[in-house]
Formats: sequence, structure tokens, C-alpha cells
Amino acid sequence: MGQTTRKHSARTRSEARRDSGPQFAPIRSMAKAIGIDLGTTNSVVAVMEGGQPTVIINSEGSRLTPSVVGFTKTGERLVGQLAKRQAVLNAENTIYSVKRFIGRRYSEVQAEVKNVPYKVVPGSNDAVRFIIQGKEYSPEEISAQILRKLAEDATKYLGEKVTDAVITVPAYFNDAQRQATKDAGRIAGLNVLRIINEPTAASLAYGLDKKKNETIMVFDLGGGTFDVSILDVGDGVFEVRSTSGDTHLGGDDFDKRLVDYVAEEFQREQGIDLRKDRQALQRLSEASEKAKIELSSVLETTISLPFITADSNGPKHLEMKITRAKFEQLTADLVERCVGPVKQALADAKIKESDIEELILVGGATRMPAVQLLVRRLTGGKEPNQSVNPDEVVAVGAAIQAGVLAGEVKGVLLLDVTPLSLGLETLGGVMTKLIERNTTIPARKSETFSTAEDNQTAVDVKVLQGERELARDNRTLGNFRLEGIRPAPRGVPQVEVTFDIDANGILTVTAKDKDTGKEQKITISGSTQLSKEDIDRMVKDAEAHAAEDRRKREEVEARNSADSMAYQVERQLRELGPNVPANEKARAEQLIGEIRDAIKSPSPDIARLRQMTSDLQQIAYGLTSAPRTRAAGGGGNGGQGEGGSSGSQEDIIDAEFREAS
Amino acid sequence: MAATTEDEGTPAAGGVPEKNQLQDELRREREMRLRALADFDNFRKRIERERADAAQTGRRDIVLKLLDLADNFDRAFEHAGEAPASWVEGLQSIRRKLLGLLESQGVTPFESLGDPFNPERHEAIGTVDSNEYEPGSVAEELQRGYRWGDSLLRPARVRVAR
Repeated sequence: MGQTTRKHSARTRSEARRDSGPQFAPIRSMAKAIGIDLGTTNSVVAVMEGGQPTVIINSEGSRLTPSVVGFTKTGERLVGQLAKRQAVLNAENTIYSVKRFIGRRYSEVQAEVKNVPYKVVPGSNDAVRFIIQGKEYSPEEISAQILRKLAEDATKYLGEKVTDAVITVPAYFNDAQRQATKDAGRIAGLNVLRIINEPTAASLAYGLDKKKNETIMVFDLGGGTFDVSILDVGDGVFEVRSTSGDTHLGGDDFDKRLVDYVAEEFQREQGIDLRKDRQALQRLSEASEKAKIELSSVLETTISLPFITADSNGPKHLEMKITRAKFEQLTADLVERCVGPVKQALADAKIKESDIEELILVGGATRMPAVQLLVRRLTGGKEPNQSVNPDEVVAVGAAIQAGVLAGEVKGVLLLDVTPLSLGLETLGGVMTKLIERNTTIPARKSETFSTAEDNQTAVDVKVLQGERELARDNRTLGNFRLEGIRPAPRGVPQVEVTFDIDANGILTVTAKDKDTGKEQKITISGSTQLSKEDIDRMVKDAEAHAAEDRRKREEVEARNSADSMAYQVERQLRELGPNVPANEKARAEQLIGEIRDAIKSPSPDIARLRQMTSDLQQIAYGLTSAPRTRAAGGGGNGGQGEGGSSGSQEDIIDAEFREAS
Repeated sequence: MAATTEDEGTPAAGGVPEKNQLQDELRREREMRLRALADFDNFRKRIERERADAAQTGRRDIVLKLLDLADNFDRAFEHAGEAPASWVEGLQSIRRKLLGLLESQGVTPFESLGDPFNPERHEAIGTVDSNEYEPGSVAEELQRGYRWGDSLLRPARVRVAR
């Protein structure tokens, strides 16, 4: 009884950890600050909510917004998916990949100009200008359209006005490009809190800013561009040591290889080039992209396109099996193209591959097994960080930075959780959980329990930690006893047990007798951490034994229910005395006897036990509906019900304690 | 190039400055608590909204795949010409069942032919000369568009009259 101090742990899950101490900007208005990944092909927006980053869904219901702006004949400005849908009709007035032009001189981007169907001309000072419907637009203005839509969608999604933003740019962007991006934000009506580097944002998303001193490589293979960056982080400060990449290498190139291969095979067999038919090409491109994605998780897939085309002989169908091996063979050279930039980046940073301490993968294309293999190869077998969605990780990092700068997050974003479930031992040796694992703390949960035997005057509270169903398979953190319970039939006393974990992870378990008001508690504190390995092992253990545990628990519960029902009906019979018809009484007593026997056996037939319990319950209902002379009270307070299972009470009597022998 | 996420300011030392510092901290803590509550509240409201759509979201994938199936049926019928009538009838029946299934989930096709092109509902994959239709309207429908309840599920894939 009384106080015991024992170790119990709370695991820290922190996002952007800072040293606690003096704050940043003074607390501002309640306006939300968003993080924007303004990409070449697609943009993503995220925001901090309740200390967690959330990716915002746009007005079309998607987490990605195409970085496309279209000016229609009717004078409308379309942004995102809508702009894409009319791009084919309006190629000269639909701007995409504006990121390739922002902040650059016209003379620098000659090669890009050749690739695009819209008109790009030099403005004053060799600036880049687009001619759209006779008017001149700067890349900043176009990007501003995109940013405006992103902000509007964010406002709608969050239900509150969005005015502040952090926008990311590639690490190799020069001052002019950064300033232009910032200007775009301003034109869009946003208060740009900061422009941060994409690899830095990715690092923030993984909480790497809390590392003492590390060298990080960010490998970013997006839809159309490839960037490698080497960063140093120390005391929350990031420094870019080198960057390299390929501005025209991305997931889209991989798709195209598959399209070409399938089209060529088809042409060989059927004599028709599908790429000449726009609709067939569209279907084939979509199917190829889907196939590529599937091949990241399965070894082979089928591209199936019925009625893909037709000739004089009738309709033609395409049905082709693609193996991962074939796909990798077709794209091997693309993967190899990643090698050069990685080696270059390492050389420029004057480090060896073994100096890389953290590796981050960004961009959907990094999901491909071949790419992952290559990256591991190039970094000496390093295990990459990829738990955050690689398409969204930059936006998530930007949101974290936005939250910090807007003063919302007081530097530290610390959300502790209990790594394993907490509960106590109840009748039959099972663990009854009160606080589930991964519950954010501080947390508090109460439940009411009762006694297991008649006239039981004390209960033993055994505090357990773990995921197994049986108490003995879990870790005991402590135990104590509450005494002085007034003698009463079992199931009548009400003992409220409260589990309370404070922000520091200190657990207090209190047991209080509602009748006498007596209370006992135990405090368990956590200065030793449970290591991640231990936690994982316990969880895996529980999973491995899940079926077996569940069966054991069901057995215990069946026994308990049966026993409880037998006890109740026995009491009923006693109280009703002569009012019970003889045959009912005989049947009841017979069932009770059979149940008691079954319970004694070490491994009773559970199904049969349940059946008997249910039969007995029927009899119990029958008995209560018969007229009686007085309501049976029995010892305790609060008139615990008879003739019904305890579950029918409002007061949830969850389980019963046995007094420890 | 460096990006810093450092803090500003220095801690005070005892007396009135310390009291001010504590008051500042208290103010900040209160503010943050309110923010957290507000966030939670907003989050809860959004969850309620999303929960209404949740059933829909879960089935979205399957429904889109069913649309794919429906498309292939449409294509099959374009070439039904020479096939025996009874066989075509059988396929029509299957197709009707599929559309019925979609409808029972609230998914309905919409017509696009002849309508002025609208990127909110149509996806253009090309233009075509047309005697029948006005320039700027949908002259060919290559893939049907579908709605789910009130919102767009999939735009129609079309060719627009030049």
C-alpha cells in the first residue's frame, strides 16, 4: 500500500525540437501560417494543427495542385487541375513549369524556351516575360496565381484566413530567383515569412534540426527534376555544402520509357503506332504510370487496354505483361544518370560517402526499388529516412518552419505518448487496459471495478504495462492494496480506479472506494526510457501471440460470465424462495451445477459454457418478470442489479478484483 | 547559404525583470493553450465534415475502377456492329447492371456532347473539325464523365470543335 516509486517511460515524439528558452517573434494574430512546396510540376501545401503537420486538400479534393496557369478566351484565369484540362486547347496561353523561368535572365533560359508551346520573350534588363493574349506577364505574376489559389484553398479547408507562408525553393536558387519567389508571394497577397531551401525543409520534417552535428544528403527525384544536396546541421542551423542534379530527369522519364516499349511491341505485332493516336496515347500513358507505381510493390503487372484502337480488320486490344525486371532494364540508364550528380555533390562538399550520416528521400520516384538500391549503393548502405510521404515531405517541413516563425509553436513541439498500454489485473488473470498505447499525454482515465468474492474487504491493484491479454505476460509496474471495503456481495462495491499520467510521464494510479471514500494510490515515474527495441519487441510479441491471447482471454471472460451468472441466479433463487416454480428452480440449479463443474475443469468447452450461460440468463429474466414481494437489496449500496448482467448498468462495472491470496 | 531557426532574446536575472519574464511566459502559455484548443475544435469540426464523406472516400478507388470497366463496355459497343444481335443484347444487359450498380452508389454519368467546353467538367485531349457542333463545344466524347452526388468524380474526356 501507499507510495511506491518505480520506473515507467514516456517516449518522446518530437517534430522540430529546439532548446527551450527565450522565444521568437511575439505572439501574433490568430492567422494560420502555411508551408508551401512550390514545385515545377506540382505544388503541395501543409499547415501545423495542434502541433502536427497536415497536408491541405485543395478545392478539387487533391493533395497535389498542378503548377499550371491557363488564361482562357473568355478572360478567365484557371489554376491547377482546371488549367491542365484545357491545356491542349489553349497551349499558347497555358503556362506550366514556370519555376524554370522565375528569377532568371532570358539569355540563360534559351533551351527551356524551345521546349514550351507558350511565348517567352525578353523584357527589359533581359528579364523573362510571357506573352499571353497580347499582354506581358512576369514569371512572378504567374507563380502568384498559383500561390493565390493555394492560399484560398487553404483558407477554405481550415476555415480560417491564411495570410502567412513559408515557401521553399531549390538549394541552388540564386538571390534573384529567391527574391522573385518572394515577390510572387507578395503579389499573391501573402506575407512570406521566409524562403527556405527544399532540402532543409525535408530535414526539418524528420526533426534533424535537433541533431548536434550531422551531415545530411537529400536525394530528390521528382516528376521532372533531380536534385542532390549535401547539408550540415548543427544547433538548429542548416548549411548547404553542395548541390548537384539534373534539371531534366524525373519520374516522367521513366513513364515514357514504358510507353515507348509497349507502343513499339504493339506496333511490331499489330502494325499500328499507338503514339500517333492522341486518345490511345493518353490511355497508354496513364496505364504505364499506374504500372510503374505497381511495380514498386509487386514483381509483375499487366497493362490491359481493350479496344485501344482499330483497323480494317476490326478492334484491337492491348494486353501486355510487364515484369519489374523488364521495367528496370528499360530504365537502367535513367537510374545510372543519378550517379554522376551524387558523386559530384560529394566531391564538391569534399566528403566521402561514408561521411553521410543521414539520408533523406524526396519525390515519388524514390519509391522505385531500383532507385532505392542505387541510393543505398552510393551512400555505403545507409538506411534512408522515408517515413514521411516523399511527395509531401518538403511541404511538411515548410509547415513546421511556418509554425515556428508564426510563434504558434514555442520552439519545441513535444508530444509525448505512452509507448505501451497501461492497465491492471482483473479477475481471471487478464489485463484490463485503461490507457491504450500511443495515447498522447497528459492523459487520465477512470473506470469502476468491484470485488470478486462475497464479503471481500480489500482489493489489490496490480499496475501493468504491455500489450498481451494475460496479466502475467505483461510487465508489472507496481501494486498496492485498498482496504476497508464494507462487506457486501461480490460485484456490489464500487471502486473507482484512475490512471493519471502527467506531462512528464509520471503515472499515478488511484483506487477509491465510492462507498467509504477511502483511497490509496501509487506513483510510478519514468526516468529510464524503454528503448525503441524493447517497445518494438513487446509489440511484435503481442502480435505474434494475438490469436492465442485472444482465445485465452475469451476463455477467461466466458468463465467469468458463467460464474457471475451462476452466482446471480443462485442469489435470485435464494431471495425469491418459494415464489419460484419448482421446475424453473430445478432447471436453474441443474445449469448452475453444470456451469460450476465446467469452470472447475482446466480447459472447458467454451462454446458450451457460453450456451449454458445464455440459457441461465433466460431463466434469470423469467424469474425477474415474475411478481415479487420486495426488491432484493443485499449488502452494498446503490442497489446493484440482480437478474441482469452487470453490463446493463449505467455504472460500468468492468471487471472484478480478487483479493490477492 | 544558411537557414537558421534560432531564438532571439536573453533570459533576465532576478527581480522585476524576472517577474516580467514570468508574466510574458504566462501570457504565451495561455495563448498557446487557446491555440491548441482552437486547433482541436477546428480539427473536430473538420473531422465531422470528413466523416460524412468518409464512406465515400473509402470507396472512391473501387468506384474509379468500376468507371474504367464501364468505359471498356462503351468502347466495346462502338465496335458491336458485326457481332450477333443476341450476343450484343447480353452485353447490353451486363452494362446496364454495371451502371445500375454505380447509380445505387450515387454515381451518375453526365452528357457532354454539344455543351460548351467547361474545364470544370471536361478534359480536352484535342480539337476536331465539326459541322455539327459550334466551335468551342464538345464535338466528341471519348470517355464519359461521372458525378458522385453533387461533385465531379471524373471529368469527361473530349475533343472540342475547332
